[in-house]
Amino acid sequence: MPLEATMMVIDNSEYMRNGDYQPTRFDAQADAVNVVFQTKVDSNPENTVGIMSMAGKGAEVLVTHSKDLGQILQAIHKTSSKIGGEIDIPTAINVAQLALKHRENKNLRQRIIVFVGSPLDGQAADEKIMVKLAKKLKKNNVAVDIVCFGDGIEEPDSEGKTIMKSFVEAASSSDNSHLVIVPASSNLISDVLISSPVLSEDRSASIPAELGGTGGSGASGSGSNANEFEFGVDPSLDPELAMALRLSMQEAQAREAASAPSTTNNPTSQSSQMSGATPTIPADPTDDEEEAMLQQAIAMSTQEQDVDMDEDAPTPKPGEDDEMDEDEGEDEAIARAIAMSMEDSQGEKDKK
Amino acid sequence: MDAKLLQSLAGAGSQPPKEKGDVSLLEFLDLQQLNCLNESSEYSLKNLLASKSINTASNMWLQSDADEQLLLNITFNQTVRVKTLIIRSNDLAKAPKQIKLAVNRPNLGFEDVEDADEPGVAQIIDLSEDHVLKGDPIALRYVRFQAVNTLHIFVVNNHGNEDETVINAIDVIGLPVETTKDLSGLKPKEQ
Repeated sequence: MPLEATMMVIDNSEYMRNGDYQPTRFDAQADAVNVVFQTKVDSNPENTVGIMSMAGKGAEVLVTHSKDLGQILQAIHKTSSKIGGEIDIPTAINVAQLALKHRENKNLRQRIIVFVGSPLDGQAADEKIMVKLAKKLKKNNVAVDIVCFGDGIEEPDSEGKTIMKSFVEAASSSDNSHLVIVPASSNLISDVLISSPVLSEDRSASIPAELGGTGGSGASGSGSNANEFEFGVDPSLDPELAMALRLSMQEAQAREAASAPSTTNNPTSQSSQMSGATPTIPADPTDDEEEAMLQQAIAMSTQEQDVDMDEDAPTPKPGEDDEMDEDEGEDEAIARAIAMSMEDSQGEKDKK
Repeated sequence: MDAKLLQSLAGAGSQPPKEKGDVSLLEFLDLQQLNCLNESSEYSLKNLLASKSINTASNMWLQSDADEQLLLNITFNQTVRVKTLIIRSNDLAKAPKQIKLAVNRPNLGFEDVEDADEPGVAQIIDLSEDHVLKGDPIALRYVRFQAVNTLHIFVVNNHGNEDETVINAIDVIGLPVETTKDLSGLKPKEQ
């Protein structure tokens, strides 16, 4: 529960009219702003949130530190009729920093969240200037989160770096600044933000790290389609369900692993077999990450198996037998079917 | 007589004589309000002054983060008069060189003090090696620190032009002004 004063910088340039995010980029962004506001204010009653726009005629502070959702909604509504111009990120961040500096409660840590939906231009496209700005923010104890969407998503250079990535890295001290990239998809920006590190700290400290971990920036940043989560459920939204799913999967894996040595020793075929055996998993088994995690889980479960082998020793046997019976039954059936079809075709040939 | 007076005046100018009643003002710190800009998260001002006394432990210090500058905001829980300052560093290269002092300026940021000159800031001092290595008391212009609620110390640079500034110990010496602002120590009278 960090004590924070947040300034949200929204993009209201012409690029926001684009409809690649539902319903338009601007409305998707407004929805995200709403969610960020709620989360921040709910996480601590002393937290304040402000909002400013960075395009139009220039960077403009719409609401300074407020706990009133009405003011934020009003500001967004007013801005929705003033879409135009181009964004100016360095100026906007400087203005936001000034607004934060004159906050009432000095105990609040400062944070700027910038929504970028248009291509970087002018000073913002110069990495040196941006890194210098980031250093200045870091010096003044200001954390920065950048949310890139639409045209704000940069093509990484040969080293996989983008200006915004360097910017966030330079501004981050003890991992307090984050970059979230939201590609156009059926996912709402707000949904991605909720499970991203931008809001995870404010959401619930009770969610264990191993469950919240899958909602990290890697998953939301790299994935292009919906349901990047292991079980198609966001663990941070329903930790208990996620925990139950995980436990049942571990149990299933333990059972599989117990019967595995008799069938095959190849871990890759094991894991694909497993994901076939549990139809509730929508994940693509060819995914490298998924594979690695499964293998890890198998390793863990086999270790566990070793520990309490004595107790569980009798249990895997029936499963093993069933499995073998099924396999054999299938094989036999297929063989029989082939034989029958061969007979049929031969019979037809004979007739001719 | 005149010579004596002159001598004492000269003495007072360079180094105010340590009067009786001068105490370390760290006991009047308001730890809640204490903060420092550009400090590293591991070696922060709060840790350094948490004991409300001059730091003697060797494993605690204040270290800068992004570059060599530091901005210490030291808030007291009552008005004080500050006479001298002690800033000690073990490593000369990383020891503060020029410092700028300001008084009672909430919202102070780096950009406010970077180009500031006297009297924009209360005093600008160049620290000698003795000051920082031996922890010699640094005499302040007493008149400008008569009613201090918050003392801001801006470290401009360090002796070795390093990227990092380290302060091992800090102490503020002076007198509390005789008003009781801190009521936390008061207890209801027994009847």
